[in-house]
Amino acid sequence: MSSDTALNQKSASKGQLLLGIGILILGIAMVVGATMIPSDAGYAGVGPDFLPALVGVVLSLCGILVVWEARSGGFRNMEAPNGADTGFWSGFAWMSAGLLANAALITTIGFILSCTLCFALAVRGLRTAELEEIGSFNGKQFAKDLLIGFAIAAPVYWMFTKLLAINLPGLTSTGWI
Amino acid sequence: MEVWNQLMLGFATAATPINLLWCLIGCAVGTAVGVLPGIGPAVAVAMLLPITTKVDATASMIFFAGIYYGAMYGGSTTSILLNTPGETGSMVTAMEGNKMAKSGRAGAALATAAIGSFVAGTIATVLVTLFAPMLANFAVRLGPPEYFMLMLLAFTTVSAVLGKSTLRGMVALFIGLAVGLIGMDQISGQARYTGGVSELLDGIEIVLVAVGLFAVAEALYAVLYEGKTAESQNKLSSVHMSKSDWRKSWPAWLRGTAIGFPFGTIPAGGTEIPTFLSYATEKKLAKDSSDFGTKGAIQGVAGPEAANNAAVTATLIPLLTLGIPTSNTAAILLGAFQSYGIQPGPQLFQTSGALVWALIASLYIGNVMLLVLNLPLVGMWVKLLKIPKPYLYAGILIFATVGVYGMRQSAFDLVLLYIIGVLGVVMRRFDFPTAPVVVGMILGPLAEAQLRNALSIGEGKWTVFLERPMSLTLIVVVLAVLVLPRAAKYWSNRRAA
Repeated sequence: MSSDTALNQKSASKGQLLLGIGILILGIAMVVGATMIPSDAGYAGVGPDFLPALVGVVLSLCGILVVWEARSGGFRNMEAPNGADTGFWSGFAWMSAGLLANAALITTIGFILSCTLCFALAVRGLRTAELEEIGSFNGKQFAKDLLIGFAIAAPVYWMFTKLLAINLPGLTSTGWI
Repeated sequence: MEVWNQLMLGFATAATPINLLWCLIGCAVGTAVGVLPGIGPAVAVAMLLPITTKVDATASMIFFAGIYYGAMYGGSTTSILLNTPGETGSMVTAMEGNKMAKSGRAGAALATAAIGSFVAGTIATVLVTLFAPMLANFAVRLGPPEYFMLMLLAFTTVSAVLGKSTLRGMVALFIGLAVGLIGMDQISGQARYTGGVSELLDGIEIVLVAVGLFAVAEALYAVLYEGKTAESQNKLSSVHMSKSDWRKSWPAWLRGTAIGFPFGTIPAGGTEIPTFLSYATEKKLAKDSSDFGTKGAIQGVAGPEAANNAAVTATLIPLLTLGIPTSNTAAILLGAFQSYGIQPGPQLFQTSGALVWALIASLYIGNVMLLVLNLPLVGMWVKLLKIPKPYLYAGILIFATVGVYGMRQSAFDLVLLYIIGVLGVVMRRFDFPTAPVVVGMILGPLAEAQLRNALSIGEGKWTVFLERPMSLTLIVVVLAVLVLPRAAKYWSNRRAA
């Protein structure tokens, strides 16, 4: 085993450990939350707090077991994940920015423009991921991506709002943008 | 004879021009999502769920069934040409079909996959036609304790049996159950885990979770880890099977169907076990098995493809007659029924008979359409693989927005969508299955209601589950399901080795 894969394995088991702790915390939080739900059971013998408590307890137990697996040689029957060993975080940041901008802007600038922006930002992230370098910002390329995004988002908007009468926000009330 | 009359009425409904059009669009969309990497039938149906607010129930169920079916046909095309199986069910096709394609026989592999899917799909639809009403008649007699046990069975199979790790399956299932708990309790109206956020009182939409876990997570995963992954595409050769191909394919299709169908119905198999079993069977029965795994044997594509289609069709039996989904897509279809206020189950054949029979009839029609769409027109679908990856994934995000925003008109949901997408990336990176999350989330609230009703019947005593013979039988079945597939897997592993 090369030192590189050993390093990766170490960081993977650290991730597994963190994940286990996260599950455990979630489980405990659910149990605590369950105690705050009134337990009026009626005829049933179990009330609205029963399943939450059960789910919390089982998740906590699972969390403990995940921690145990992580600490004793890693997850069992684990298939090596697809793709690169380390994440390309700057591409991820571009796409995240696109998705969150979409959430923030959709009601003000409308579906078409908001999705166009999300599309262009996501494409920018994916493109840099393909090259595996951040590269300098190419304004011409970005403008082209914006155009393509618009060419997808606009017909989608018209199809869903006009043909299927689904409510999507527009910039104006004309129904076209 | 009654079944025959009902089916004819179903055909009359399904064959109206507007429903035929929905079926055709569904099959086309399904084939496209099957061919395109990064998007499967479950997420395609989920993204289109908002149409349920405007389109009538029969038309949209026909549409969704077309997508469900079409994706399997399209999926085999990608498996054969690209060696990227979209789901576990097409793993064997990817193995053997890709070998065939590499030795210049892509056309024959595509043909046997498409025709095999047609044969298996049609036979399985006939079996659904015959058996679903029978099972429904029987299931009418089940009460809350039995239903709860059936749902427990579904939870067990989807989390503990189908995955690679029972622990990770359980984590996924209970996260799904936890998400399902958010919102107002159905029986007492008590708010649970809403943290005072009013948007959460109505619970979290299934669309949100499915689209987040599958579509957004897929895109985020691609940008994070798969930027440089290079793919080589096999050349498409003329779609034609020789006489000897036909002779080898026929029995394999029939055997595949026979193996696949039972696995779909029993809610215990999924598509992984039957496709591998079919592959092992074909390899063993072949006179000359030297082509298997080397040049690629046509039986090794024909059998598993048929098994896959038969199993997928058969999942409609537990879905329609018991209201229990055994796959991701079936879970989303259940969600589609629910958004019409229809609860699939034994009464479905009485209360929504026209809808169910139109749906079944549309499966026959859809299979024919798909054969036409996929054999002569396969070249057209292959062109879809030329779409550059950045545009493909970014485009998926636009459709994801339509599905999620269109459902509830809430920008808050788009933030949740992103969070669930990140969760999906973590789950995929650490090899957690996602199907249990969706099934847990959809079935959880139903199971809880059945449990509390059952305990009311038993006046608060848990022994109610042991006192009723059917419920006791189901407890035994749950235990058997935990043990038997493990034994079968062990057996087939030894066979394959």
